Amino acid sequence: MGGLIFRRLMTAIPTLLVIILASFFLMRLAPGGPFDGERPLDPATQAALQQAYGLDRPLWEQAWLYISRLVQGDFGPSLVYRDFTVSELIAQGLPISLTLGGLAILLALLIGVTAGLFAAVRAGKATDKTIMMLATVATALPTFVTGPALALFFGLWLGLLPVSGTGEGGAWLIMPVVALALPVSGAIAKLTRAGLASVLKQDHIRSARARGLSETKIMLKHGLRTAMVPVASYLGPAAAGLLTGAVVVETVFGLPGLGRYFVQGALNRDYPLVLGVVTLYAALIILFNLFADLIYGWLDPRMRDG
Amino acid sequence: MLKTHLALFLVLVTVALALVLPFLLPWSYDQIDWNAVRAPAFSGSHLFGTDEIGRDRLARLAAGTRITLMVAIAAALVSLIVGIAWGATAGWIGGRVDEVMMRIVDGLYALPFMFIVILLMVVFGRSILLVFVGIGLVEWLTMARVVRGQVMALKQRPFILAAEAAGTPSITIMLRHILPNIAGVALAYLMLTVPQVVMVESFLSFLGLGVQEPLTSLGILVKEGADDMDMTPLGLALPGGLLVMILVCLTIEGERLRDRFS
Repeated sequence: MGGLIFRRLMTAIPTLLVIILASFFLMRLAPGGPFDGERPLDPATQAALQQAYGLDRPLWEQAWLYISRLVQGDFGPSLVYRDFTVSELIAQGLPISLTLGGLAILLALLIGVTAGLFAAVRAGKATDKTIMMLATVATALPTFVTGPALALFFGLWLGLLPVSGTGEGGAWLIMPVVALALPVSGAIAKLTRAGLASVLKQDHIRSARARGLSETKIMLKHGLRTAMVPVASYLGPAAAGLLTGAVVVETVFGLPGLGRYFVQGALNRDYPLVLGVVTLYAALIILFNLFADLIYGWLDPRMRDG
Repeated sequence: MLKTHLALFLVLVTVALALVLPFLLPWSYDQIDWNAVRAPAFSGSHLFGTDEIGRDRLARLAAGTRITLMVAIAAALVSLIVGIAWGATAGWIGGRVDEVMMRIVDGLYALPFMFIVILLMVVFGRSILLVFVGIGLVEWLTMARVVRGQVMALKQRPFILAAEAAGTPSITIMLRHILPNIAGVALAYLMLTVPQVVMVESFLSFLGLGVQEPLTSLGILVKEGADDMDMTPLGLALPGGLLVMILVCLTIEGERLRDRFS
């Protein structure tokens, strides 16, 4: 277990480095700069700003400086949100994005595993087919369609939920989380159903039946755990999907999360902000994949050394 | 026949309509009817009404579907070519090379790829060509994994061993014996890649990073509809519904093909 974590962290560092450098040079290839406002600045001011932020130095030196500061936890200043450092913006946005993503994955697991279980118990019957059909539809629901549709229905027409911003209480979370969770829950339901179907044919289930255990107990205790293995391996890609989905959801519902900063930053050429967010996203995804691997090993001990 | 392949049928009808409608409709997708701004559905020559600046909804839907599907097919083909080339090479050579190549795929899987694509769009302008090259380059990973698995399995089969023993060059074996045998599975995954690409393209267009005006795509139409939904829900419901329908139908058909071949 410790070995796995160590090996993963060792590959994570070069991966992160590659991502940071790739994004760094990509950003710099882009035409335009962070100081091209609506009014062109006079050349002297432009040069002074470039110098103040170190943008006049050779690219490699800038990249080196960026990384050496990053190691010390300094993401640098934001070039567009002038009075903020990138760390401050991230500190504002990250909790919102993490809350959205975390709640969405919990909700998706809850809906998906329950639906998958029901479908597997009623395998081949109408319930099974209906649930699987719904799951297919759910996986095909893009957040940028469900988000506005939910906002229109529950926000504008029924007036039940806030359409934009983070108001008092947790009501503002409901629609964004549901929009994010739906496609993931569909995928989880399918995986659970398929996992259970193959597990239930195995010998240990048959012997559990022969011992006269109740069907519920067999399902929950013997079937579900093994059936969760494919679900666990899906959690990594799911996390990446949720982070991208969060970009849309934050835009649709006007939430000041990381995704909004990313899109705004990319459009405004706010180099440090974009780099900071990409780095953080990459780190989060790598971390989540590791976490998924650990769950994987716990569910299926044969996988522990692999 | 119709009932079991309802999904495929719906997609084909949609494609046919998207291709034919521009010749039948009196309005083009970027033409403004000054006399009928925000016209409701079924008014005059506008079956679904017009949008907030007086463009015919149905014509825009047809144009958007055309672009979305075109981008999707092109990008899926890019992913097919890259995926087959990568996966087949890794599977055929095997050993160290295979290990390294598949490690790279694993590593790329773990990347926040959408964000790299967004960066690409921002950096190199938002040309439609780049949209599908960018998406295609993201979506080849699954294809590479599947193809590699297939090639590894085929490699052990007697007819391949026989071909090798007869001194057939690797490239001929690949083209004559391996590729035809993985075509079915590749087709199934190609079919499953198309909805993925549709999703990514619409996502980018929704954020204003994909296809640019005056061209339109389903993602742009959803965005326009969402911005104007308090006035006319139809603007969101039509492209949103159509997009979901296309995604659902393609997924159903793709999964059916995949289950048949694996």
